[in-house]
Amino acid sequence: MEDGGVTVFINYEHETHVYPVTVERRDNRFFIMYDNNEYTVDATELKPGQLTIQLGDRVIKAVISGADDNKFVFIEGNVFRVKRIELTGRKKTEKKEGDLNSPISGTVVSIKAKEGKTVKKDDVILIIESMKMEYLIRAPYDGEVKKIYFKEKDQIEIGQLTAEIEKEE
Amino acid sequence: MEVIESSIDPTSKDYKENFSHYEKLAKDLKEKIGVASQGGGAEAVKLHKSRNKLLARERIDALLDPDTPFMEFNTLAAYGMYDNKAPAAGIVTGIGIIHGREVMIVANDATVTGGTYYPITVKKHLRAQKIAMENNLPCFYLVDSGGAFLPMQDEVFPDREHFGRIFYNQAMMSSMKIPQIAVVMGSCTAGGAYVPAMSDETVIVKGTGTIFLGGPPLVKAATGEEVTAEELGGADVHCRESGVTDHYALDDHDAIRITRNIVENLNRPEKTHLDIKKPEEPTYDIKEIYGVLPKDSRKPFEVREIIARLIDGSRFHEFKALYGTTLVCGFARIMGYPVGILANNGVLFSESALKGTHFIEVCCQRKIPLVFLQNITGFMVGRKYEAGGIAKDGAKMVTAVTCAQVPKFTVIIGGSFGAGNYGMCGRAYGPRQLWMWPNARISVMGGQQAATVLLTVKRDQLWRKGIEMTKKEEKELTDPILKKYEIEGNPYYSTARIWDDGVIDPVDTRLVLGLGISASLNASIPEWKPGVFRM
Repeated sequence: MEDGGVTVFINYEHETHVYPVTVERRDNRFFIMYDNNEYTVDATELKPGQLTIQLGDRVIKAVISGADDNKFVFIEGNVFRVKRIELTGRKKTEKKEGDLNSPISGTVVSIKAKEGKTVKKDDVILIIESMKMEYLIRAPYDGEVKKIYFKEKDQIEIGQLTAEIEKEE
Repeated sequence: MEVIESSIDPTSKDYKENFSHYEKLAKDLKEKIGVASQGGGAEAVKLHKSRNKLLARERIDALLDPDTPFMEFNTLAAYGMYDNKAPAAGIVTGIGIIHGREVMIVANDATVTGGTYYPITVKKHLRAQKIAMENNLPCFYLVDSGGAFLPMQDEVFPDREHFGRIFYNQAMMSSMKIPQIAVVMGSCTAGGAYVPAMSDETVIVKGTGTIFLGGPPLVKAATGEEVTAEELGGADVHCRESGVTDHYALDDHDAIRITRNIVENLNRPEKTHLDIKKPEEPTYDIKEIYGVLPKDSRKPFEVREIIARLIDGSRFHEFKALYGTTLVCGFARIMGYPVGILANNGVLFSESALKGTHFIEVCCQRKIPLVFLQNITGFMVGRKYEAGGIAKDGAKMVTAVTCAQVPKFTVIIGGSFGAGNYGMCGRAYGPRQLWMWPNARISVMGGQQAATVLLTVKRDQLWRKGIEMTKKEEKELTDPILKKYEIEGNPYYSTARIWDDGVIDPVDTRLVLGLGISASLNASIPEWKPGVFRM
């Protein structure tokens, strides 16, 4: 809530539910949108980490602790975990590490990497065509291409290893 | 339920390229719909208005509750057909809300060839009636039509699913206690006269509404009697003398007022109960679908990224996540309604088909509506898979899809090819509604595959005669096939012929599904009674 004058999106997790909340600060008041309802809130910071919040007739005291994007809010004996999220509401996740086995039976239509050369993570090693779709085999990590087991127009079976890449340390 | 985690990077080059590609497709769709919604063009509109008549879409606007959605079907019917002379096939159909309840509207557009029925017009009218029948929706016919388009009578009149079926449906629906209401706001000539005559309650507008089996020229030819249209079948004749109509309206606005009064006295039954929660936006922006879908339809994509952008709170309870992974199944909510989602994430294997079958059974037991997100190049082919019984496992899924009596909704979000179309609830499997995204493609197989198959057959035939094909001859055979498949697989070719209920912008998918499910609750959901599953 420190960003004055801008709109902030917050995911508020309570038990197993996630509640998306929009907070906008105008004229030193907070306008909170949740579930198509708007609530107007006044908040004063007593000292770092301690707030009094006025919502209608209710005055609530809150204590906030925790790091930047993972705060815990203590209100009247309850603890809530609050996470700030980016504008689109995205959670950053690491992609699952792909492997070099063919996901499908088909034909190798193109080889994009060369043995002995280095590749970056996600570089395309080769392309398999099957059932009208193109499947790209990408490098799961940075490294050197040791061996490519197929050439163009080769048939490949599901689960077969396409290439070997030595992981760069 | 857990929120689906997204691993899309909106700053990547691919994402940006995809996004601008799909933005263009969406814009192109809006332009096409904009043109079709104009009806028969400025001159015809002017003439229509000079007769003190409202346009078909204005009539619908006035009839529905203010600020409520109108879910229009097949705005692009007859697109590119009949020399482009029949925008929207000259008829507007859709589900709207009157006095808080969903109804089906069928409104002729007299600015398009006098509202006469082309073959696709008949198909569109019948499709609207089918939707009304399945969802138990009262029908409102805003009639303003010269009847069948005579030059094409052989494609409009004689067959089972032709003009006569309109009146058959009216009698059937009336017997099913689905109200049939006609508002005569223009001509109802010849066969068209049966639309009001077969209705439960009928309104007619003085001066413009006319009903007769034979018009003044036919009467003169047959008997020599000279009579005006108004004298022959106007509001006064039918409200005071014949009893063909029940309510006398002074103009279109008056007719709409009376029609709204009719709705207040329909005494409709309560809607089917579902466990409904407050609707909630997805955690991720729905517009990001533009960036998720690959520009090149041959590139696979993670369908959970699409699901995450269509469901409430992006929360998904996935079913059998580790088994038959090329079909993603799971429970979610759309606009607060519980749904079971089946979405393709690759080619269908035996395991995926078995998983789909199991999931459909579970949803049918619980009476949860099904949503199919179709992007399927087919069931896997090859010796290993045939020997593994993929045909019987596919058949199980087709049996389950067929026998599922819960409301089914299909959205073709990518390819729709071969038996994959059947397993994923294609048109033949009776989804309550079937929508297409503008990137969709539909055909029995891919163009390249069809060309290869036909080439092999031809080559073998010639080989038996001792002739060998040259490269040039091969190309002459395959090129037209590729071209044909490209044209006919296009979503606008499909929607013009009513193989679907419309092409929609992906960002409207949630709304369209929500409205569809809401409308479906007007009908009860029968018990699950499957056929024999080949084991």
